[in-house]
Amino acid sequence: MIQVSNLSKRIGDVQALNDLSFSALDGQITGLLGPNGAGKTTCLRTVFGLLKPDNGFAEIDGINIAKSPVAAKQQLGLFPDPFGLYERLTPREYISYFAELNGLSRSDAKHATSSVIEKLHLADIADRQCKGFSQGQRMKTALAQAIVHQPTNIVLDEPTRGLDVMSTRVLRDILRDLKNQGHCVLFSSHVMQEVAALCDQVIVMAEGRVVAVGSPDGLCQQTGKASLEDAFIQLIGTDEGIAA
Amino acid sequence: MSNKTITMIRKELIDAARDKRSVMAGLYYAVGAPLLMCGMFFMLIGQLTSPEDLNININNPQGAPDLVKYLSSKGITHGKNEDQVEGEKVDTKDILLIISDDYASNMAKGISAEVTLVADASNEKLQKSIRRLEKRLQQYSAEMGSLRLIARGIDPRVMQPIKLNVEDQATPDSKAGMILGIATMTMIYAVFISGMNLAIDTSAGERERNSLALLLSHPVSTSQIVISKIVAVTLFGMIGLLLTLIVSKFAYSFVPWQELGFSVSVNSRFIGMMMLIGLPVAIMAACLQLFVSFLAKSFKEAQSYLTIVLMLPMMLAMAASYDIAPETLQWLPVSGQLQALIEFIKGRELPGMQLAISSLITLAISAALAFGMQKSLKSEKIVFGL
Repeated sequence: MIQVSNLSKRIGDVQALNDLSFSALDGQITGLLGPNGAGKTTCLRTVFGLLKPDNGFAEIDGINIAKSPVAAKQQLGLFPDPFGLYERLTPREYISYFAELNGLSRSDAKHATSSVIEKLHLADIADRQCKGFSQGQRMKTALAQAIVHQPTNIVLDEPTRGLDVMSTRVLRDILRDLKNQGHCVLFSSHVMQEVAALCDQVIVMAEGRVVAVGSPDGLCQQTGKASLEDAFIQLIGTDEGIAA
Repeated sequence: MSNKTITMIRKELIDAARDKRSVMAGLYYAVGAPLLMCGMFFMLIGQLTSPEDLNININNPQGAPDLVKYLSSKGITHGKNEDQVEGEKVDTKDILLIISDDYASNMAKGISAEVTLVADASNEKLQKSIRRLEKRLQQYSAEMGSLRLIARGIDPRVMQPIKLNVEDQATPDSKAGMILGIATMTMIYAVFISGMNLAIDTSAGERERNSLALLLSHPVSTSQIVISKIVAVTLFGMIGLLLTLIVSKFAYSFVPWQELGFSVSVNSRFIGMMMLIGLPVAIMAACLQLFVSFLAKSFKEAQSYLTIVLMLPMMLAMAASYDIAPETLQWLPVSGQLQALIEFIKGRELPGMQLAISSLITLAISAALAFGMQKSLKSEKIVFGL
């Protein structure tokens, strides 16, 4: 479970987060929906302790990230934006490297890597250096890195950007699998279809604040609109920065 | 060292070994620097040991056959030398020696015989040749003077009120100080050059490729990250140093040291000593380069910063090998180790106390830089380049 309480963060002149509070539960997919510049990435970085909030705190499975960063991060897997691949490593080396950093022994990391490679159908590229990978191949490698150590919480920053239909489907299936296994999945997005298709809970963000929380259907009912897109625009009061 | 740190070191080394740029940087220096040094020594030996024959023009040589013979016995010849192969180009200096027509008669009468030296004294390249010719002419003149005094029954020593004796205390090895300094300096500088590319790649490069933020979101502490990077860069520096020493060992064995009166022998004992003394320097080099690169926003920026920063150890090393202000420098990093190594190569006793203190200072600076880096990795500005 990821719980965020009263987060505020100022970057330069911009109030990126403004008293932000929400929680993402285990066994659910939670979508962080907001226009570009709403503070989604800042929020996720704060959850990982990479940014220090001016106010408030984030807890991972009840562990405060600011107080015990290593223990809290142990419960997290990150699918970052951008991916941050090591171009000279093969996916197998890359995935097992991060598995070991999460406390798995060398042999355990190897096993976990093999099984995640199988799960994501990465076998054909697993022993090729990452240099020159397609966007889909990069996505799978980054995703494998996020889930190889079976963290209770998986955080994805704009996971579907630049993916074709097949890759997007693979990603969706994986996320549903994770949910069914009882993981807490939190992802940020500005793509409506993605959120509508996947999420149990949607957190609508604008200007660093939570505007509304609810299931996709719940949000539609709340605003009296037929589609999530219309509901969203109603909620944030503008259609700026939204991808249909 | 924890398992995670070892995992990170292993990854850094695999990553670096596959990076052609990082590997080549070390290799180029390790092979290039000793060979360049050898080339320089060959040139130096050529200049020091065989003063070339000086070819000048002499007007009216038949007027003073004895003088001409004397000069040619000292390697100063008129026009073409008999030893020279016919048709070979002779480098005749633009110096003219005019022997006056009444030279022989004046010489016979025991009065001053006139010889005129014509040359462009503002020509720097001729200075050495002119002085050499003047010296020989004065020697010949003094010899003639002595003979005249003897012929008149006077002891020629009355003409030498002061007899100057010069005792040169310099041993061949101490004369070699500067050359040895330069040779040792190029070796120890290897630890800076060999690890440089890796240092940039693993810090500024890592951030540029966005993997730094990802690494920091995993459960590792910033000190583990910093330590693993320092170890990797230090290892690269040390491998570079070892390669440089091995190449030097072979290359320097071809230099005809006996002509210089001293020798630089890179034996296994010296290599061992160099590796040992070089280790703290390599650690400091790694810390310094990583620290600077982490502050830079991009790979290119880091490169330009480092070029400037690397002047610092270079200057310390230069100062040590030229013996400028040795008192304070012997405690400082690089120059302290370098001075100790030069003492060692000269066959003197290793200045243990001085070496220990300068090595400790070196390590203290490294620790401070590592601490700074560890702090900087917690800063949002550094990690995201805000």
